Formats: sequence, structure tokens, C-alpha cells
Amino acid sequence: MSQTIHDRKQGRSWQNEHDAKAPRVGDLAPDFELMDVTGEHRARLSQYRDDKPVALVFGSFT
Amino acid sequence: MRGTVRLQDLYERYHQRVQFMMIYIREAHPTDGWWMGGGITGFALDKLVPQASTSIRDPRTLAERRAAAGQCETALSYGIRTWVDDVDDAVNKAYAAWPTRLYLVGVDGRVVYHGGLGPFGFTPKALGKAIEALG
Repeated sequence: MSQTIHDRKQGRSWQNEHDAKAPRVGDLAPDFELMDVTGEHRARLSQYRDDKPVALVFGSFT
Repeated sequence: MRGTVRLQDLYERYHQRVQFMMIYIREAHPTDGWWMGGGITGFALDKLVPQASTSIRDPRTLAERRAAAGQCETALSYGIRTWVDDVDDAVNKAYAAWPTRLYLVGVDGRVVYHGGLGPFGFTPKALGKAIEALG
């Protein structure tokens, strides 16, 4: 499991480390498969390929 | 999440032509981490972003994260189904998404827009322009 971020410095360090490898415009978006909040439904990003564009909204409650 | 009202506007306007996926990732400001629920910061957060929670511990298990995601989905209730990243943060890391970030992926599976790093790069207006540019 990843570690909880405790302050701005840790947060910025995490962002810099991972943003360097994050996809940019024109790159193939990394595929993923995730479950919903109930754990009963599953979705894969690539299931929408050749069908619809996908808006990915990342965040949390806090 | 910052900008949620305008995000809801985007969803209402474009959801028939764009698939919206809310990806629930590691907490931004959990009670056992970079907490912002106390003092003047907590007061300001409550006034400026009343839909955000300041009382969630960083989930240790997928079940805990699903529970937090469910609370968030219910509280925000803007119709986008929430998908939950596992506690290894694999998807979060792949997109450098923490604490918030927006992407638009074209029908060919390639990125056509990536927002800046959150929270300040989280701009639904820019996502809206990217959607419009798809034609």
C-alpha cells in the first residue's frame, strides 16, 4: 500500500515523481479496470474505445 | 472536490456524447495525514468547499476506500458513477492524479487533454473547451 501524504512537501514530491511518467496529449491512455463503490460493477477504460470519448475525473472526498 | 459544481454542469451538458468516469483515489486531506479540518484553514475550507469532508481517515483497505467513495458519491450526487482505485494506488500513480486531476481520452484511446496538477490545475472550464474541440 502507498503511504499517506502528510504535508505539502510530501505531496509535491509525490506529484513530481509520478507526473514525469504520466500520459501527455497524444499518448495512449493507460488502461485500467476498476470496480464501483458497491464492488458489484466493473468498468475498463478501453471498453469505450471506438465508441465515446472519456472524461476522467480524479479526486476524493477530502 | 474543487470545482464540482461546474463539473456537474459539464456532465449535464455533455454526458450523452462523453463518458464521464469519476475515479476515487487516495484522500487528499485525511484526518491521519495532511489534515486541513482545524483552525482557520478548516473554517475557510468549510465555507469555500462545503461539499468536501474533513473527517475521513486514509483508507487502509479497498473496502474502506469503497465506503469513503460511497459517502462522497452520495454527498455530491451529480450522477457520475464512481470507480474506486485500489489501495496500491495503481491508477492514481499512472495518471499522477493525486489530489485531483482531469483528463479527456479520445475515441482512439489517446489523451486529448490533461489538466494540470491539482488542486490548482483542476479546471473544468478547460475540460469543457477540450470537449468542444472534439467537434
